[in-house]
Amino acid sequence: MNIRTMLAVFTLGATTLLGAPLAQADTLRVGMSGNYFPFTFVKQDKLQGFEVDVMNAIGEQTGDDVEFVTAQFSGLAGMLDTGRIDTIANQITITPERQAKYVFTQPYVYDGAQVVVKKGNDTIHGVEDLKGKTVAVNLGSNYEQLLEALPYADQINIKTYESNVEQDVALGRADAFVMDRVSATQVIKKTPLPLQLAGAPFSHIENALPFRDNDAGHAQRDRVDQALTTLRENGTLAKISEKWFGSDITQP
Amino acid sequence: MNGLDYDYMMGLAPILLKYLPLTLEMAAAGMLCALVLASLLAIIRVLRIPVLNGATLLFISFFRGTPLLVQLFLFYYGLPQVLAILTQVNGITATILGLTLHFSAYMAESIRAAIVGIDRSQTEAALSIGMTNAQLMRRIILPQATRVAVPTLMNYFIDMIKSTSLAFTLGVTELMGATQKEASGSFLYFEAFLVVAIIYWVVVETLSLLQRWLEKRLNKAFVR
Repeated sequence: MNIRTMLAVFTLGATTLLGAPLAQADTLRVGMSGNYFPFTFVKQDKLQGFEVDVMNAIGEQTGDDVEFVTAQFSGLAGMLDTGRIDTIANQITITPERQAKYVFTQPYVYDGAQVVVKKGNDTIHGVEDLKGKTVAVNLGSNYEQLLEALPYADQINIKTYESNVEQDVALGRADAFVMDRVSATQVIKKTPLPLQLAGAPFSHIENALPFRDNDAGHAQRDRVDQALTTLRENGTLAKISEKWFGSDITQP
Repeated sequence: MNGLDYDYMMGLAPILLKYLPLTLEMAAAGMLCALVLASLLAIIRVLRIPVLNGATLLFISFFRGTPLLVQLFLFYYGLPQVLAILTQVNGITATILGLTLHFSAYMAESIRAAIVGIDRSQTEAALSIGMTNAQLMRRIILPQATRVAVPTLMNYFIDMIKSTSLAFTLGVTELMGATQKEASGSFLYFEAFLVVAIIYWVVVETLSLLQRWLEKRLNKAFVR
């Protein structure tokens, strides 16, 4: 084999490995719950929110048609596993368990876990006061794991919900709920529910987009990851964040 | 609590109503398929057809013995991991399939009860004048069994309409899924769920009227 043939083969290989998947624009099916304000929610029959804007901006960069699929949060991972959607944009936190199964893009939201109580509750001032209390978390979210990792986890009564944790704390059925600080702040600001933050965030959270751990998934991840880098550099991510949160949550 | 936000409720109702046809279509398709399947299962049970009878018992035992939500998750998320081709099945089809299998297990038993409830002497009389088994079923047993089965079958249909609210776990935005998403945007949970409760209620009440009319018709021959 002469050097030219080798070079040709190498170039072809490199193009297939690196160039082709990135260039190949497609339909990107994005799963989300549609009931997680202000990341993904519906008003007047219109799906909107931070995640929707970010995914549309990514689509503009990659040339992909972004197709949103809404489903109950507990069904989203199953939809990703069975290839019905390509990724989940629902403030998915990177965890070691999830990393073992999916490939993630770079983080695009930096946040912390926050305890929230009913307004006027002066017994809970943070995660250390949850001993002996009933704490609500959303099913399939990683806040349950965060609580169970606490040394006094066996003294916390953890209640998991499909949705509506805010409502049950406002009604007094649970003493507190745990959610990320960003959405908790939004919930308190934008809704009439009588709630307040209890103490400082107790765990560092990074959100990213998970893809299936196969060739197609890796190709999509690389494409989307590159788009995220561009959107970060040209200030689009910061702008979208300002629009929904009044601050930039996309920087570490 | 503040008063109810009536303006929000009035504005929400037409939005949610757009999702009612899908809910009704899934329930109607599920009911039609379940009626066919349940009738077959009931006949197998009544005639005690060998092998099939055992299979039917197992079928009924499983689909009556496990929650509908578990069955939906198994079909939609579990089976495709074994049989990749099943990912082609969309959420609406999977919901209809789940409703069919689940409710046919219940309905088979109520249809069977309606059939065996008809006096044995009628069967003997029919056979004595030379009717075949098929004629006996078509002319004597089924017309009477239908009348007995209608109230319970309508019950299952009503239950099925409400069970379509599980479809959002399979990514189908039906009436309930639409309500949850709208409620999350407004945080007016009470108002949103009140609106959707009224919609379900009105639908079911309309069906109850239909049931009363149907029962009256089927009872005609029995009114003295």
